[in-house]
Amino acid sequence: MSAATNVPAPKRRTWWPWVLGGLLAVLAVLFPLLPFGPRAEFATQTAIFTLIIATLALSWDLLARTGQLSLAHAAFYGIGAYTFALLAKYGPAWMTWPVEMLLAALVAALFSLLLGMATLRLSGMYFAIATLAFSEVVKTVIQNLPESIAGGANGMLVEPLLGGQTRAQYYLALGVLLLAVLTSLWVRASRLHYAFTAIRQGEEVARVLGVASTPYKLLAFFLSSFLAGLAGVLYAGKTFFIIPTDTFSLSVSVTALTTAIFGGLYTTLGPVIAAAVLTVIEELLKLRIPNGYLVVYGLILILTILFLPRGLMGLGRKK
Amino acid sequence: MNRTLIALTALLLAPSALAVKVGALIPLSGAGSVSGQAAKNGYQLALDEINASGGVLGKPLELIIEDDQSNPAKAVPAFVKLQTVDRVDFTVGGVSSATSVALSGPAKQYNAFMAWIGGAAVPVEDAFADHKYFFHYHPWSYYNFEAILDLFKYLKAKGAKNIALAYEDGPFGSAGVADTVAAFKKAGFNVVLQEKFKTGSGNFAPLINKAKGYDVDLFYWVGYDVDALPLASAIKEANFKPGLIYGTPPSWPVGFENNRLSSGIAGLSLWLPESPTKASRDFVAKYKKKFGKVTDEYFAPLAYTNLITLAAAINAAGSTDKDKVAAALAKTKASTPFGTLTFTSSNKIKYQGFKAGQWLHFQFMDGKRIPVFPIDYARKPVQYPQK
Repeated sequence: MSAATNVPAPKRRTWWPWVLGGLLAVLAVLFPLLPFGPRAEFATQTAIFTLIIATLALSWDLLARTGQLSLAHAAFYGIGAYTFALLAKYGPAWMTWPVEMLLAALVAALFSLLLGMATLRLSGMYFAIATLAFSEVVKTVIQNLPESIAGGANGMLVEPLLGGQTRAQYYLALGVLLLAVLTSLWVRASRLHYAFTAIRQGEEVARVLGVASTPYKLLAFFLSSFLAGLAGVLYAGKTFFIIPTDTFSLSVSVTALTTAIFGGLYTTLGPVIAAAVLTVIEELLKLRIPNGYLVVYGLILILTILFLPRGLMGLGRKK
Repeated sequence: MNRTLIALTALLLAPSALAVKVGALIPLSGAGSVSGQAAKNGYQLALDEINASGGVLGKPLELIIEDDQSNPAKAVPAFVKLQTVDRVDFTVGGVSSATSVALSGPAKQYNAFMAWIGGAAVPVEDAFADHKYFFHYHPWSYYNFEAILDLFKYLKAKGAKNIALAYEDGPFGSAGVADTVAAFKKAGFNVVLQEKFKTGSGNFAPLINKAKGYDVDLFYWVGYDVDALPLASAIKEANFKPGLIYGTPPSWPVGFENNRLSSGIAGLSLWLPESPTKASRDFVAKYKKKFGKVTDEYFAPLAYTNLITLAAAINAAGSTDKDKVAAALAKTKASTPFGTLTFTSSNKIKYQGFKAGQWLHFQFMDGKRIPVFPIDYARKPVQYPQK
């Protein structure tokens, strides 16, 4: 074997994700200004929830890159939502909403570090079960706080973000998604990507190669839950109401992971495109098959996962 | 070509432009779907009747139904679509409390007229307290409890003393548990057990075995339809025999009455097909004619009542002006399957329809829901204690 064969072949750079990403970015910025006519308000409202799901899915994917399949994202989402709601209700007058938002995401991230430290030795389904249990624990704690504090099981009303102005809320949600996208791109472009991938592919081997898995996993937890917490804040400020059974629901975590898988795991654009595609599919199906659209929607998800194991982002790649 | 296109467009747009539009936001999927599907039938029955008798204001009534999926994140855009895309004149529906509260912001933003059939939890009352077009047909949760306490006091005279309370951990089950326990104690009961459960979890064996350790006269559970069968099954398996099992899910599982495990279980309903009033008998006959069989779910007649009374108010107002229709609806005095409907104030809102007086209690007997209390409406005496 010659020395030349040990040199890795230069990576073939694919251009289409960048073009698609650019087009999506332009479309996203112009979206509320598009001539939807009477559908404009509805389209913007739907788009806000789509951006929230995209952020949540991307945040889930960030942690998944270390090989950890989290079912705790509902907890981070819920902690972000509740912290924001409590700060808005009880926080000092000088605390503006951006500060409340930032603190809410930080609290979610700090909780994730606690969870991360407790579950460092776990992987696979043991990790998934532990994270699911974490969600349940947080939900139970919130429910059992005195009703006068956080509403208990009844839930609590939340101060609307940006006075409830739809277009402003849209651009805020878009800004948060942009932060998630930039975080993901930064992780991919930095040494973190190699560390995360090494940990995912074999933690023992990674350790032997000098990759200390603990700090990297904790960092992944931190980044992931910070973004999930921001998504929770957006949700709370959008629906004006949060309730433990919905906010900490397993379906929140499942939505995050199915969207990421549908789009393509370990990619930046995948979860974003998937959130948009799934929303459009759902709305179109609702128009065509009002009485059975969720069945068809579910089938599409199953078929995609079966036949496109690399998700939508795998469509343009050679096997 | 252009003329044909214009004519075609005009033809397509004509029915919508001429119709009075009502948007119905109900859960056709998710946790509240049994109630939502029943409500859908009630609305369709009312729609047929209204349009067969000339519609409203001489125009057809158009009903646009949206599925809120029992999920606030889905309900908000669906509600906004009704207000902005479909441009409905009025909104009806609503089952879940969580989705109802989430709609309070957009409802005020669009100044939406809401004639609401669900959302019984107190946070809904708080959220809509200052909305001038909010008419609430369903009793608030505190009215439900008032009715339950009446039955339990009646059973106390028959020796009932110890209550075991099991409740789901959401707002439906947990709202005001402390007040519930305090009210039971004030009425002279011993609350021997208070246990929370996760709705839909299916595993009730630990809870039931714990309850078996007490001398329980009344086992009272508050949860959803998905909990009914696993609970009944766990009770049977553990051979737990309280004097009465009493449940208050918003809807019971489809066909539950045909399962032998349901025998003797009691519950609460706003209405039963056996109700002897003329309005109820009329509703049953019409429902049977349209759908082939009758339903036990009270959200069907409630939705029917909702749309019929709204249409009557629009006609009485002589316009779709919200203030005029609100004034007309506020004056409603209609015979309904639940009794006479009038709107009076509740603790916090101005227009509350049904209250505690409309609730009745039934017991599953011989594959049916048999009314057992209040005595005036009972077709059989309540079986207490259960053998």
